[in-house]
Amino acid sequence: MSQTNQAVQVPVLPDMKKRAVPTVPPGERRTWLHLPALVYMIVLTQIPFLLAVWFSLHAWNLLVPSEGFPFVGLSNYVTEFVRDANFWPIMGNTLELVAGAMILALVAGTILALLLNRPMWGRNVLRGIATVPFLVTPSVMALIWKNLFLSPSSGMINWLLHFIGIPAVPWFSAFPLQSIIFIVAWEWTPFVMLVILAGLQSVPGEVLEAAKVDGANAFTTFWRVVFPLLRKPYQIAILFGTIFIFQTFGEIYVTTTGGPGLTTNTLPYYTYRAALSSFQIGQAATLGVIGVVVAILAARGMLRLMTERTASERG
Amino acid sequence: MTTEARRKWSTFAWTALTYILVFLLVFPVLWMALTGFKTEIAAINIPPILFFQPTLDQFLLAIQGGFGGYLFNSVVAALVSTALALVLGIPAAYAMVFHMPTKSSNDMLFFVLSTRFMPFAAILVPLYVIITRLNLLDNLFTLIVIYTAMNLPLIIWMARSYFLELPKEVLEGAWLDGSSTLQTIVRIVVPMAAPGLTAAALLAIIFAWNDFFFAVTLTYTNSPTLPIMVTSNEGLSLARVSALATLIILVPVAIGIYAQRYLVQGLTGGALK
Repeated sequence: MSQTNQAVQVPVLPDMKKRAVPTVPPGERRTWLHLPALVYMIVLTQIPFLLAVWFSLHAWNLLVPSEGFPFVGLSNYVTEFVRDANFWPIMGNTLELVAGAMILALVAGTILALLLNRPMWGRNVLRGIATVPFLVTPSVMALIWKNLFLSPSSGMINWLLHFIGIPAVPWFSAFPLQSIIFIVAWEWTPFVMLVILAGLQSVPGEVLEAAKVDGANAFTTFWRVVFPLLRKPYQIAILFGTIFIFQTFGEIYVTTTGGPGLTTNTLPYYTYRAALSSFQIGQAATLGVIGVVVAILAARGMLRLMTERTASERG
Repeated sequence: MTTEARRKWSTFAWTALTYILVFLLVFPVLWMALTGFKTEIAAINIPPILFFQPTLDQFLLAIQGGFGGYLFNSVVAALVSTALALVLGIPAAYAMVFHMPTKSSNDMLFFVLSTRFMPFAAILVPLYVIITRLNLLDNLFTLIVIYTAMNLPLIIWMARSYFLELPKEVLEGAWLDGSSTLQTIVRIVVPMAAPGLTAAALLAIIFAWNDFFFAVTLTYTNSPTLPIMVTSNEGLSLARVSALATLIILVPVAIGIYAQRYLVQGLTGGALK
């Protein structure tokens, strides 16, 4: 619990400081109103996590009940880090998916946000339409991408490519991870767009006017004037985007089921497979705990990087 | 060209580019919906067919084959879990804003955020073991319990950010009148924060509706939701799967566009308004 707590030393949350402190009758100061929710979350998330830690210290295979539940100390962890030849490639896949999809979504989301920040006819409707990829059920849309667009036989992308002389590409066997990265980036582009749009609205108009008067072109204005003002929205987009993209599951399940080979297995997907295909509960619990640690380290690392940059540029 | 004319032209060009890019972005969804109105022969045709005699056959086929059962599971899981999350979350947010010292309130907020950051895969194994022991695998009740936990953080952080905006004079008046906490929440706080709470509830519905991970790992034949139906129908027909997928995404798309203003805030814990 304390570990996961530390994962979110979010330096943002501006409204935390201006809490309303009304004068509550003295007897009303103590309250239990938050306890049901607190207990519910602890029972559903923290206790299972502690159980996962406990399981990870044992050898436990549901398919071999005779082996029982012997305590094995940290040997499951040693196995993963040293002996499991799949582990490090899978960590690499996970990093590639998260970084690839996040970067693509950041670039595309920024471009869309800048374009949709301009006054134009039908702007609000366009913004609403542009959020659609983010709202659609991810597993369902990934399946549609696979069958309607990336299919080697009847996919539209291959049909478009044949005009420029590129022969049919079997996307999910030739570029499995890249195809998934593309789909995930498509889903998360509107999220980045919305966050950046929200940020752009707080950029004062005078700043832009001043830049224009100084003769700055659009690109310079964005890079030198607007971008630095958008640090917080970018921090939020990256922090939340990364943590949610890390959890990508349905898109993998419906397109490649982790294959070919292990090429599209990520840490969460591999955890799922260890648990529900091979029923290696001890191993799956170990992978789950590693997943939590990775998420915590990533969140803290990103936050530190972001806050340090802010501090150095202030000084 | 005069400067004025050049500026007009550039404004037009940027606007046109915006329209084109947004169109490309949503094109897969549009094409999917269009494919749902085709015959299977037209759906798999290459080159892709843009003009065709639309038919509702695929939609009619899609809503057979157990659609009602999947729909029932999806609707019940999404609505009941959202209602439960509201019942648990609103009092918690109220306590955090009006009754708790700043430090414990902030600690609670960090805890709430952190539970939403927990990778689902990490708790899958113990949840699976517990659920199997309790004989609750493939049970709609189980999905409801889990979706409630998934949505509780969202409800709490959104409700909290709206409660912070409430004029405290009104609340002080209620307390002075001797209104009990429960009365204050039900009669004053909830009605005043109603728009924000509605948005929070709508987002929670989207998350439960769109879930695949728990639906695929914890259900088999008794309580699968609509996204599971799509995967099990995949091999049947491209047009039919497109029709089914279109029906399923209508709900989150409609809700999301309606609650668009609250989307960012709901997702980022009120870190950005």
